[in-house]
Amino acid sequence: MSAKIKEAVRALLAGGKIKGFLGLKRENGHILPHLFTDPKELDQLSLGDWRRPGEARYPLNQILIQLAIEYPNDTFAVLVRGCDERGLRELFKWQQLREDRVILIGLGCPDELAKACECEKPFPDSLVDGPRGEKAGSQKVAHVNEMDLDTRFQFWKAEFDRCVKCLGCRNVCPMCFCKECTLEEANLIDTGEVPPANPTFHLARALHMVGRCIDCGLCEEACPADIPLRTLYKKVADIVSETFGYKTGFSTEEKSPLNMIEVK
Amino acid sequence: MAKKRMTVLQKLLDFSGIHPERLRARWVSSAEAAEFVREITEFVEDIKKIGPNPLRRRKAA
Amino acid sequence: MEFRTVLTTCPYCGCGCGVLLEVLDGKLIGTLPSKTSPVNEGKLCVKGWNVHEFVVSANRLKKPLVRRGETFDESSWDDALDLAASRLKEIKEKYGPDSIAVLTSAKCTNEENYLLQKFTRAALGTNNIDHCARL
Repeated sequence: MSAKIKEAVRALLAGGKIKGFLGLKRENGHILPHLFTDPKELDQLSLGDWRRPGEARYPLNQILIQLAIEYPNDTFAVLVRGCDERGLRELFKWQQLREDRVILIGLGCPDELAKACECEKPFPDSLVDGPRGEKAGSQKVAHVNEMDLDTRFQFWKAEFDRCVKCLGCRNVCPMCFCKECTLEEANLIDTGEVPPANPTFHLARALHMVGRCIDCGLCEEACPADIPLRTLYKKVADIVSETFGYKTGFSTEEKSPLNMIEVK
Repeated sequence: MAKKRMTVLQKLLDFSGIHPERLRARWVSSAEAAEFVREITEFVEDIKKIGPNPLRRRKAA
Repeated sequence: MEFRTVLTTCPYCGCGCGVLLEVLDGKLIGTLPSKTSPVNEGKLCVKGWNVHEFVVSANRLKKPLVRRGETFDESSWDDALDLAASRLKEIKEKYGPDSIAVLTSAKCTNEENYLLQKFTRAALGTNNIDHCARL
C-alpha cells in the first residue's frame, strides 16, 4: 500500500476538489474497483497487487467513462499505471473523457511487472508513487517474427481455434468504447459458430486496435483460452510505429492515424 | 484512410502467416473498364502462383 | 453519488465463477470478472460477462400473468396463487401426482430450488422435477 497515494487522495477529497477517487478496494480478501468518496474508506485502498504485483488490475478508465456520462460536470481522480495514462491520453483525443475533469494519481510498476508486460514505459508521467521503471525487453513478437510463413500460420491457426467468442477481450478493454462493435455485426462475423471465423475475428479486432491499444494486457488476462492476444496487438503497435511513426498514448496532442475526430 | 488500413492489414496478415500478396489494393476509375479487367486477371494469376488458400474450408459433405 | 462493485457468484452453470456487478447509484450497469476469485481468476464465459443483462431487462415480468386461451392477462398474486393451487389439486386428484412435472432453473438459488423440490416431492407427491440446465 502506498502512503503517498493515500495522502494525495485524502487531500483531494478533503479539499472538495473531486467527486470521488476511482481506485481499487480490498474487501474480504478480494480486490475490486471502487469509487472512494469518503476519506475514511481509504484504509481499504488497494493498488491491485495480490499474489504478484499488479495481478488484480481492472479497466478503471472504462468505468470512468461511465461515471463521466452520468456526471459530465464533475471531476474525478483515478488510479493510473503507465498503461492507464497512455489510455487516458488517447481517450481525451477520442473525446470520450475531458482532460480538465480527470486527475491522474500515478503509480509506477515494479520491474517484475514491467518485464511480464514487456512494457514500453512502466510508469505514468503523473507519478505519485512507485519507481520510474525501465523499458522492458520484447521477446514475444520477436519469437513469432522468427518463424517462417507456414509455421506462423499453423501457430496462429491453433491459437485462434481455441477461441470461444466470450468477447472477454473486447469487454475488458479500457479502450473499447464503440457502441456498435464489428465483432457483433452479423454481416461481418457469422453468428452461431465457435471458434469464430478463423482468423477474421481476431484480425478484425487487431486492426481495430490501431491507435487504441495501450498494451495493458487485460485482454490476455481475461482470455479463458489463453490466446496470446498481447503478442498480436503488440505487433500491430510495431507496425503502426514503423509505418506512421505513431506510438499510442505517448502524445497528448498528436492523434492516431485513424482518428478523424475534429474539434469544432 | 483505407490506404492506411490496408498497409497495416498487409503486414498483420504476414505476421499471421498469410501470404501478404494475397491482399492487393489498386485504384481504378469506373470509366476504365479494360484496366479493371486487366488488374483482376493479373491478380488471379499471381495468386494462383502462391498456391491454394490455406484458410479454405472443406465443403460440407 | 455512489459507484461500487459487488462480488457475487455467476447464476448460470455449476462452475461458480466470481463476478463483480458494477453498480452506479443503485443501478446495475455492467459486469466484470473477479480477478481474485480462485475459480475463474479474472476470466468469464459469454454468459458470465452478461449476467447484468437479465436483471435490468425490459422483458422481465412485473405482475403475475394468467393464461386465458391465447392471451396472458395481468392478475393479482392472490388470484394467481389461488388458481395455481386449486388447479394443481384438481389435476393431482383426477390424474394422480405423477401427471404433474415441475421445471425449475439453475438461475434460482440453492434455497429456492430446495424449496421447490420439497414442494414437488412432499406436497405434490411426485419425483418429476428437473431444471433447464439438464435439457
